Amino acid sequence: MKEIDARGLACPTPVLMTKAAVEDEGAQGITVVVDNEASQQNVVRFLESKGYAATASKNGADFIIIGQTGKQSVIESSKEIPQKTAEGSQPKIMVMCATDRIGFGDDELGQKLMINFIKTIGEMESMLWRLVFINNGVKLTVKGSKLVSVLKDYEDSGLTILVCGTCLTHFDLLDQKQVGKTTNMLDIVTAMQLADKVITL
Amino acid sequence: MCGLKMPSSPQLLVGLEHADDAGVYQISEDLALIQTVDFFTPVVDDPYQFGQIAAANALSDVYAMGGVPKTALNLMGFPIGQMDISIFRKIIQGGLDKIREAGMVLVGGHSVEDKELKYGLSVTGFVHPKRVLVKRNLKPGQQLILTKPLGLGIVNTAVKAGLTTTELADQVSSIMAALNKDAAEVMAHFPVSACTDVTGFGFIGHLAEMVVGSGYSVEIDSDSLPLIHAAVEFAQMGLIPAGAYKNREFRKSMVDIASKVPREIVDILFDPQTSGGLLMAVDTSAAKGLLRSLTKKKVLSAAIVGRVVDRGKEKIWIQ
Repeated sequence: MKEIDARGLACPTPVLMTKAAVEDEGAQGITVVVDNEASQQNVVRFLESKGYAATASKNGADFIIIGQTGKQSVIESSKEIPQKTAEGSQPKIMVMCATDRIGFGDDELGQKLMINFIKTIGEMESMLWRLVFINNGVKLTVKGSKLVSVLKDYEDSGLTILVCGTCLTHFDLLDQKQVGKTTNMLDIVTAMQLADKVITL
Repeated sequence: MCGLKMPSSPQLLVGLEHADDAGVYQISEDLALIQTVDFFTPVVDDPYQFGQIAAANALSDVYAMGGVPKTALNLMGFPIGQMDISIFRKIIQGGLDKIREAGMVLVGGHSVEDKELKYGLSVTGFVHPKRVLVKRNLKPGQQLILTKPLGLGIVNTAVKAGLTTTELADQVSSIMAALNKDAAEVMAHFPVSACTDVTGFGFIGHLAEMVVGSGYSVEIDSDSLPLIHAAVEFAQMGLIPAGAYKNREFRKSMVDIASKVPREIVDILFDPQTSGGLLMAVDTSAAKGLLRSLTKKKVLSAAIVGRVVDRGKEKIWIQ
């Protein structure tokens, strides 16, 4: 494993040092240590452009990037990049809420049930992989919803929450959204494909 | 300047309160002064080109306010003893050539000894008091036009890294050294209500300064942005200036980016520009005409990049 200490160096030097190691020495595995987030992101981008899988993590004031050929990239604590769990690990469950209440009959009861359901869903722990809100479900993520703080806690603990942008726009709630990442149908369909189990409400 | 009390005057038309490009002070019913100053450390190795770029960048604020620059003062910080004095001369020559191109005069200047080289201009211009273009005067339905390609910061980083051809480095230098004069002259004949120039805060950062306080939002079409194409590849390689990440962090709460927009384009949207183009808001009926006139004048790469919309609360949607 090739190691590069690029702490104290400004862009683009950390990328150039990584580039030299990758291109001149053909390193299969590489560890780069930088001391700022911009350099971390840049080194990750560079390694990915060269076909490496890059795993970035933080250690005190340092950012450590590990690059290896032939694997999928992961940036810890980044919610923008879908995190593929390692092969053979636990199943990924995707829960899709297309409504703000559970079942038919009494609407008031249905809403209470939904609140309770979302509060309890955390019991799935790390098997809960994606929480998606579409149609009337997006109303659970906007200002005034009793679930905003619960959902924010889930998001802080690493759960990816996706909220349908078309639906928010339809209800004119785009600027009211409090939690989750605005998404589109392609993201939702891709998530369904990657999930091991999809639960729809 | 937060918390400091500023002296006021009824003649001060544009002061510090709204982060506009320059100050405007009314002299008579039909004349106001525009004043601005800008200087920085070298962005290119060639001293003559650096002088040109620093001057074009300083003048740009006057053009962005709808004015005509008239006089300039040199500002120089120079490491005497460490750098050959011929470099000093070449920088001043570059600035002077841009001052001449703009139809202005140099009226003086001041230099100090400095560990790090710095150069720029203090510029004074004229504008009709009723034709001052502030940033936030947006109206729903207007089209947004940008007059220089984006990606200058990323390509400059690649130049610094020694990964570009000489041709590309020269091309980027000439984009930065190009005055916004022609764009401003064309703009004056069209119903443009707001304008700014794109510099260190990147396209989104300067767009955000137009949006904040306007009461409206904007939609940007990511595929219609004029780009330096090489910037896409360099962004993929991670040759992105740290400022781009700071710009993004600073404005992320008001920006909504559709997931179809490629990461490299997002990088370019936040990329700090040096002496970038004008970004103007024009009434829809006149947008095509303005674009044609800009193209005819050979303005670098004028394009309609988005529009002002009456939805949301001062948001930027990138789609």
